[in-house]
Amino acid sequence: MMFTSIGILLWTSPASVLGEMISASAGALKLCVELAGVYAVWLGILELVDASGLGEKLAKLLRPVIRKLFKINNSEIERMIALNMSANMLGLGNAATPMGIKAMKALDDGSGIATPAMIMLIVLNATSIQLLPSTVIGLRASAGSASPADIILPTLIATFVTSCLGVLLVKLCNSFRAKHAKKSPLNKRGEQ
Amino acid sequence: MSAYILPIIFLALFGYCYFKKVNTYDTFVKGAKGAIPLILDIFPFIASIMIAVALLRVSGITNMLAYVLSPVFKVLGVPGELTELILLRPFTGAGSFALLENVLSTYGADSYISRCACVILGCSETIFYVATVYFSQTKVKKLLYAIPVALICSAIGAVVACLLCKII
Repeated sequence: MMFTSIGILLWTSPASVLGEMISASAGALKLCVELAGVYAVWLGILELVDASGLGEKLAKLLRPVIRKLFKINNSEIERMIALNMSANMLGLGNAATPMGIKAMKALDDGSGIATPAMIMLIVLNATSIQLLPSTVIGLRASAGSASPADIILPTLIATFVTSCLGVLLVKLCNSFRAKHAKKSPLNKRGEQ
Repeated sequence: MSAYILPIIFLALFGYCYFKKVNTYDTFVKGAKGAIPLILDIFPFIASIMIAVALLRVSGITNMLAYVLSPVFKVLGVPGELTELILLRPFTGAGSFALLENVLSTYGADSYISRCACVILGCSETIFYVATVYFSQTKVKKLLYAIPVALICSAIGAVVACLLCKII
């Protein structure tokens, strides 16, 4: 991706390459400083949620769904995924990130290959059901919309469709891979 | 209305912590301490992806792709004007919101195109960013089908979004 971009820029404007790269990484630093503030607030809140036992309660509520989707049996990971999903539903993507990272770290089996549960978490985060697309509504209101909130219903339906589709596709890919993995050792044996 | 939700949740949380006799201040500090190490860990990943996106935009690749793909999107019922928005969405949140503001001011906040753009943004995520950041703390090198599945879902989401905006 970077290779082709730079390749094209070599023809069009070679002088701008380094400047663009530096300003982008400076932008990343600015974003990170902002995110550090956001994460500090949310990680603090998260610790409170955990310490007061609310995290456990939330996880218990969502446990049937999580167990079915992720096929895991670990109350700590379940709690993180529950918090990640709830933050996503409230439209708080930045609050969901630190919990998602923690869940991912805990799901890592060190094999270097993404497990089905990890892929499910990524896809669910990418298509997450949003009850309240707050940023979009805010932007629409400031652009002078007559009823900025009337996109809630279509957004809700659309995210519901994509989430269901995502879960279905991940499950399909998983079973396809599982079948494939079972077949290949047999094939090898057959060749011998 | 929606502005009240978070403050009320926070208030309830602090109240609950008091009720449960949790040491609120110390616990909050303990959690917040994790923010800086986390940011230090994910900064290189965020920087790389933002550099890649900047190069993509400056080199004109996204414009070219948008030009090529807009007829395809039109056939699927997605307004061609939104092609660049849909293409950039998986990479950058800030960038796609800037584009949304542009669409809102150009076509008017209540136009069909603007409503489509809002729903598309509402039901999608910055997939590459999320995947980079989430996997940055793991040893995973092979993501298998994670990205393709997420991208297919968002593409279908965009089509569904435009369809819904026509009906509702």
